Amino acid sequence: MGKIIAVHSYKGGTGKTLLSLNLAATFVKRGKKVCLMDLDFRAPSLATILKIEKLDCWLNDYLNGTCEVDKILLNLTERFPNGGEMFVGLANPSTEAIREMSAKDRKWEMRALGRLLALRNSLIETKGFDYLVFDTSPGLQYSSINAIVAADLVLVASTFDRSDVDGTRRMLRELYDLFEKKTDLILNKILQDVSSKPGKEALQAKIKDVYQVPLLGVIPCFCDVLKGEGNFIFAQEKPEHPFTKILDEIAGKIDSNNV
Amino acid sequence: MAAQEGLGKKPLQVLEKIRENLEKLNEKMEVMIELQKHGKREPELLQDAPLDVMTLLSMPDHLRKTAMAVCRLGRATAEEIAEQTRRARAVESAYLNQLVVMGYLKKERKGRKAYFFVDRESQEG
Repeated sequence: MGKIIAVHSYKGGTGKTLLSLNLAATFVKRGKKVCLMDLDFRAPSLATILKIEKLDCWLNDYLNGTCEVDKILLNLTERFPNGGEMFVGLANPSTEAIREMSAKDRKWEMRALGRLLALRNSLIETKGFDYLVFDTSPGLQYSSINAIVAADLVLVASTFDRSDVDGTRRMLRELYDLFEKKTDLILNKILQDVSSKPGKEALQAKIKDVYQVPLLGVIPCFCDVLKGEGNFIFAQEKPEHPFTKILDEIAGKIDSNNV
Repeated sequence: MAAQEGLGKKPLQVLEKIRENLEKLNEKMEVMIELQKHGKREPELLQDAPLDVMTLLSMPDHLRKTAMAVCRLGRATAEEIAEQTRRARAVESAYLNQLVVMGYLKKERKGRKAYFFVDRESQEG
């Protein structure tokens, strides 16, 4: 049975979009049928990264109840040869759409949650998707908490920045725990040396103390990834890069149902 | 006399009717017991309160667990919820009815079964 994964973080700039996109691409490489959804309605970025300018139906329209889910799914499988299937549901990046989404009330958010929950039936059970990957807004936003409630697994991206660590710890106790969500941590932009076994073990011990949740992966700070400027999908174009290999390990762990 | 004759003719239906009424009464009792157990009485029946995620977050843990199970299952009986939460059916029945009283869930009877669900679409924003 397929899984819904929400990628979330306390602060912005932790690499949620980078992780979501590359994790989705890695699953596709592993032969899976994947749908990546941009639930960051305040700062949509997947449309830009994937170079898609105009669409008849955005994810916004599905949540508004004005478009069926089939209409918002964009099939990008051609861009991902030799693998599974890749679909995306994109957030409308226009200023007007962002403004409109930020002014929604509680009842709208409740209905939006219902539509996110309905994706399990419409996409996973009916259309056989293996993974739905939700890229979310940072912090305690309605759209992000909706995504977390609808998800089976929450991947929390965090850096070692002090305010990020503190905020992430709070969210673990006061958000994910309350919803009884399976939560795993991915550390990103790490400067400590994790190339050696003792270095990695020391970091893991430290993390276990700080967060009390399983550590799914540690991604060092790669200047190459930053140099890419979000112009291409790293995991796809640089198969030999350590970043790609770490993503593959993470996808492997999720795939083998270890997490 | 007429009632007695009726009883003689359809004892099964009458007994079933009594059982149904007792079950309804039982559910009401469970709600009252729950409200007593968890402190203050709810002031009055709230009409159609939205069960959004912020409401879920601010709920007491025991009710959130039940409400989350309803979110997951969509539409379910107390028994189905109890299977998910691994708590007793009677406990879930009480919590579900409490959520109905609070206006977060709707309840619909189909024969002998009572189904609980979040009525998201009928609540106009």
